[in-house]
Amino acid sequence: MRRIYESDALYRDDDEPGAPRERQREERPQSFRSVPSGSLSRWLVPDRVRRWGLSLEVVTPRTEFRVGEHVPFQVTIKNSLPFPVTVATRSPLLWTWHVDDHRAASKLSADGPPEEERGFRFERGERKRFRKRWDGMFKIADAEWERATTGEYTIGAGLNVEGAADRGLYSETTVTLRPE
Amino acid sequence: MALLEVDDLTVQFYTEDGVVTAADELSFTVESGEKFGVVGESGAGKSVTALSLMRLIEEPGRITDGEIRFKGEDILSMSESEVRSIRGNEMAMIFQDAQTALNPVYTVGEQISEAVRHHLDYSEADARDRAVQLMDDVGIPEPDARYDDYPHQFSGGMQQRVVIATALSCDPDLLIADEPTTALDVTIEAKILDLIENLADEYDTAVQLITHDLGVIAEVCDRVMVMYAGKPVEKAPVDDLYYDPKHPYTVGLMSSIPRVGEQRDRLQTIPGTMPDLVELPSGCSFHPRCPFAEDACTRKEPPLVDHETGQAADGDTDQHVAACLEYTGDLVEGLDYQVDVDGADPNTGSATERGRDHGA
Repeated sequence: MRRIYESDALYRDDDEPGAPRERQREERPQSFRSVPSGSLSRWLVPDRVRRWGLSLEVVTPRTEFRVGEHVPFQVTIKNSLPFPVTVATRSPLLWTWHVDDHRAASKLSADGPPEEERGFRFERGERKRFRKRWDGMFKIADAEWERATTGEYTIGAGLNVEGAADRGLYSETTVTLRPE
Repeated sequence: MALLEVDDLTVQFYTEDGVVTAADELSFTVESGEKFGVVGESGAGKSVTALSLMRLIEEPGRITDGEIRFKGEDILSMSESEVRSIRGNEMAMIFQDAQTALNPVYTVGEQISEAVRHHLDYSEADARDRAVQLMDDVGIPEPDARYDDYPHQFSGGMQQRVVIATALSCDPDLLIADEPTTALDVTIEAKILDLIENLADEYDTAVQLITHDLGVIAEVCDRVMVMYAGKPVEKAPVDDLYYDPKHPYTVGLMSSIPRVGEQRDRLQTIPGTMPDLVELPSGCSFHPRCPFAEDACTRKEPPLVDHETGQAADGDTDQHVAACLEYTGDLVEGLDYQVDVDGADPNTGSATERGRDHGA
């Protein structure tokens, strides 16, 4: 079988500007990564420290909305440590959100992703931002939703780790739905 | 028993933003020798569906539910080596972008003959003869001389032909063509479609043609499934769908086809964009863009039902089913659009359609 480097498809010349140079057999990497910081932090930094360095915040642009109006919210997860960290979550989801303790505004029993651990990496000082909207509806059956009535609702978001609230990796905010 | 039966296929991707449900309880069948079209906008889940059939979904994606039976055997419960013996052999795929699908460091001839050697146990010389024959079949001039050329020495249209030749190399029973002509100009597109159609007839291959071009479907397919946001919204024999579309999304797609000689200043579009699959709207996924949406559409997700009886789709291939609350009796105002067919009797299949009105 003929390989591409055995073909005459590419003209090589060391002298001619613009033409690729003759192949250098001597292998010399052009750059090194300083250290594999992601792996090192995974091996060296205890879980407790990693979680301690992370914080999560959920905010809405205002606190009052009309019934039927979409409620946008922003979830910010920040690594305040000066080195990268990898956090292990309970399932392939990094974070989850809730409205009044109903995960993803669904009143059905949680039918989420498989329970298998997954690692999410944060660079040093990295801030991950996620924008979501709650459309003011609760899922009540497989193909049915009901509109939230007037009143106060708590929108919460937490990192998908065991005991997120106790470890300060859960945040919530309250919004009021007013009549249309 | 159909050649391919897909039941409640659900494919999800786990991303940092959340769960992307790219295919949501998708069911369809493809009969032997049939040409089945899948149509929808970008992001509707067409390609993910095709890749699932070949079990080519990669991390972070996963087939979370459903069954895919090919010739009665469940592909999802097969071992990797069993799937490899089917993939490229009994079930082959023409990928969207030929340049990416072809390996740049192997000659095109080698890439075709590799499949033949692997699956059919041909000798080196016989595989070469077979590859040359296939290159000739798909319309590559001087195939013997071009066997040793590399992909970059071919034009886009010729590369696509090589991909088609590779897909056809083992006489597959099912050919999945994922937007085979998207990257090509219209003249080459017409030639490639003719080629697929002729070759499918010649080799009696079933074709699942994925495209966002309704014109292509009309020309090639027997049956069609319209997808929106990972779900099928309408399934019907191709004539029924074109002459009597039942879902507002299908009507919108048809209205947006530009026609020669039309007097409108602007092309008609479906307002808005496909929703983010991480965050699907409650109720009918199409309701934010639907001109006929009512309050019920925000609260109830319509099932796929027969438009005449309102009964759930039963898998009958001739059934015309649509996922709209109109057909379950939940809409108050109902759908209000008109389909004008300009030309001969629809039953002759020779008519051209013009002037559909989308909207009240």
